[in-house]
This record gives sequence, structure tokens and C-alpha cells, in this order.
Amino acid sequence: MSSILGTLSENLATTVELAGPSIVRVEGRSRLPASGIVWSSDGVIVTANHALERDEGIGIGLPNGASTQASLAGRDPTTDIAVLRVQVTGLAKATWAEHMTLRVGHIVLALGRPGRTVQATIGVVSALGDAWRTAVGGRIDRYVQTDVTMCPGFSGGPLVSGAGQFAGMNSTALNRGAPVAIPHATIGRVVEAILAHGRVKRGYLGIGTYPVRLQGATAQQAKQETGLLVNSVEPGSPADIGGLLLGDIVIALEKQPVRFPNELLASLGGERVGKAVQVTVVRGGQVRDLSVIIGERP
Amino acid sequence: MPAILDALNNELAKTVNQAEHGLVHIQSGSGFGSGTIVHPDGLIVTNAHVIGGGVKEVSLPDGSRVEARILADDRYYDLAALSAPASGLTPIALGDSDRLRSGQFLFAIGNPWGVPGAATAGVYIGKRREVRLDGGPAREWLAAGIHVRPGHSGGPLVDAEGRLVGINTMMAGLDVGLAVPVAAVKRFLKEAFGV
Repeated sequence: MSSILGTLSENLATTVELAGPSIVRVEGRSRLPASGIVWSSDGVIVTANHALERDEGIGIGLPNGASTQASLAGRDPTTDIAVLRVQVTGLAKATWAEHMTLRVGHIVLALGRPGRTVQATIGVVSALGDAWRTAVGGRIDRYVQTDVTMCPGFSGGPLVSGAGQFAGMNSTALNRGAPVAIPHATIGRVVEAILAHGRVKRGYLGIGTYPVRLQGATAQQAKQETGLLVNSVEPGSPADIGGLLLGDIVIALEKQPVRFPNELLASLGGERVGKAVQVTVVRGGQVRDLSVIIGERP
Repeated sequence: MPAILDALNNELAKTVNQAEHGLVHIQSGSGFGSGTIVHPDGLIVTNAHVIGGGVKEVSLPDGSRVEARILADDRYYDLAALSAPASGLTPIALGDSDRLRSGQFLFAIGNPWGVPGAATAGVYIGKRREVRLDGGPAREWLAAGIHVRPGHSGGPLVDAEGRLVGINTMMAGLDVGLAVPVAAVKRFLKEAFGV
């Protein structure tokens, strides 16, 4: 087989076979199983949080065909990562691509193990970008969008580069169904936090809000059309201590506009816990700044 | 364009062009579809659902239109064999669907929405097995990341070497196509003709 096409085709199939030992089946929902990636040879497995509907009775299909049970070490819905543990050693730990080796246009494979064998689809890297925040506030270290077809059960499986290295964990839950890959750096951070504390730190204010349209003069002053009306303040919460009142309209946090609930969530990353931040509100038609020390979400 | 991409494109076009010589267009009583030439003397394989209303006309690769006879059909495996009065056709060499590996390139050739000889490419995803509760023989499909559309049915699914690995049969969502494995086609032909 000397043609470029034939060689390419064989290389792709070989890449799939070589990646297979680091991909497991994750049975954690009533529908079709999802996929998971072997994070460490001593039994840490990462998967997509949205594909794990239960916390107990999670089954794992190992690459050698055996089945075992996993315990849930923790989950981070904001980055769609869940961390599992199996009592198995000698697993084939995934080989990860160096940060920033992907380029737009690269051929990539999406792999999954919804059944007994590894399955594959192909695509190209569609877009790359800087760190971004998911709609529910998780920080993803790099934006990696591809046009791979995500077959049922592919969530939690790897995006694999032409060099056969894992370039991220595929998820369709973060970007309106478009496949994005969660990079190694993000998974590493979440795994570390979950293995150490069982969870990922998130900032907390202690208010309930809903978006409202700002009045003409206020909108002009605030330079935005909507804000978040505070309709509850938990007694003793960071917001309460910081002086937020029922009826305030939150319009910014550290001068970053807050127009919709997801923008508020996005601004409450774990790195802000314990820090004083400037919360800008409209109160009685006047814009004013309050200082609130962000707490940790219980 | 880098030389290797240019060379790859030429090979892709060659593979598709070669497979198009083994593709026919079928006009049936109920619509249209594709067919795959498996013997120079006019033996054509298609899906049983393509010839639902009987075969009206078959367009051969040289453009000639002929009447064809239905020799055998199997609704369960969705396969049918036709005989067209022709000789010297270019059949597609039969490959081995049991040796496919996930990630391998595959090409579906057909007449989607009546567009003759259209190609779509992707990689082999894996086998899809039907779950049967009644104990009957479970059917098996090849799943590929290809854009199969109405009119592709009955046409060839070929590998990078241009060998027939399946008969395009249906869509499973917009981005996944299912094909009857060539192993089932071989069985079907053997049962029908003892060859």
C-alpha cells in the first residue's frame, strides 16, 4: 500500500488502535453509556459530567473487555468534568499533546467507547482561542472547537491529534452542542482539586436575581440595557455583609458588565473566594459601588 | 497547496472516479436510488427498499438506459439483485467488511437527491448491531461518518483502495451513514445464486 490515501487511512486506523487502551466505557446513565479517559495508571478516570446521571453504581468497561465498578471522586459541572476511581492498576495512562501544538486545519479524531470497541470519527480543528468561561462559570484554559461528529456515547472521550496524542476531552454540553475539547490543563486543575477536596471551589454571593431592563437614564449611565434585580439576599451571606439590598440592580462586578445571570455566575470563579470585589449596583436610580468579600459556595 | 495535499486530492478523485464506474442510477416505481455493479455482465446489487415499486429503468455508467430484471430480493437484510442487459461493465472489487478498522477512510458514492455520482467521505466508526429480543438473526450495519442522503441507497461504500465494503442503506442522523456490510452481500448472492 504505497498511495498517500491508503497510508493515511491505515495510519488513522493505527492511531485509533494505539489510543484505545486509554479509553474506557462509562455506564452512569439510563441511556447509552458514555466514554472516559484513563488519567492515571492507578485508576483515576475522567469523563463528561453531563453523561453521568448518577453518583453510585457506575460501571466501567475496561479496554481489555473486563468490567468493574467506579466510585465518584467528584464532579465539576462548570467545566463538565467528573472524576472517577477504579480499583485497578496498570492501566494505560493517556499520552497528552503539548499545550498549543494544535493548529486550525489539523486533522483530528474523536474517539469513544460506548460499546465494547473503540469507535472513531474524523474532523479538523475549526477554531482555537484563548481561555474562556462556560455559561455556568467554569474556566476552560483554551478554546478548541472541531467539526468532528459526536456520536452518541462519545462525550467524555478524547480528541486525538494526528500524532496520536490526546488533545482534550470532547464535550457537547458546553457550547450549544458544538463539539469543544476541554484541554489537559483544565482537566489537570479540576482533577487535582477534586482529588484533594472532593470538589472545585466556586465563589458565592448569596443573592437571588433575575434580569431586568434598565430605565432610559440609568441605562445611559450604566452603558448597558439590562442588569440583575436582587430579589433575595440570604441573611449573613457575603452579599448581606457587603450591604446588598433587596431591589438593588447589579450591573457590574469588578467593572465587568453583569447583564444576565450567566455573566454573574461566570464572574464567581474559585480564585475570587476570600477576595474583596467591587459590586456596582443601581439603587434608587443612582449608580453606586459596594465592596463585597466573596465567599465559597457551600 | 503543499505537494502532499495536492497528491492526496488527486488520489481521492481517482478513488471516487474508479468507484463511479461501478455505480448505476435506478428509477423505480416509488422513486430513485443507486445500484452497485458486481459483475461485468450486468449483475447489480441494491437495497430492497430502492426497488419497492418495481424497477422502471437503470442508467448505466456510460449513460445508456436499460430495463432491468429483479433476480432476488431479501427485505430483511434490505438487499436485492438485478440483472441488466449489458456486458463489459466495470464491477467494483469486493473487499472485506470484517477487517475494517475504526478510523479508516471510507467513501460513499451514489445519486443523492438524484445528483449522479456524488461522493461523500468520512471514516469508519464501527459496527452497529441490532438488538433483537425475539431471538431472530440480528442484523449488522457499518457506521461511517459520512453524509448519506436519500438516493444514496444501494450505492457502493468503498475503502481507500476502492474495494467494496458495504452498500449504503440509511442515515443515522445527519452525520452518520449506515451500510449493509459486504459480508452480508456475499452471503445474499451465494444464497440466491449459489456462487
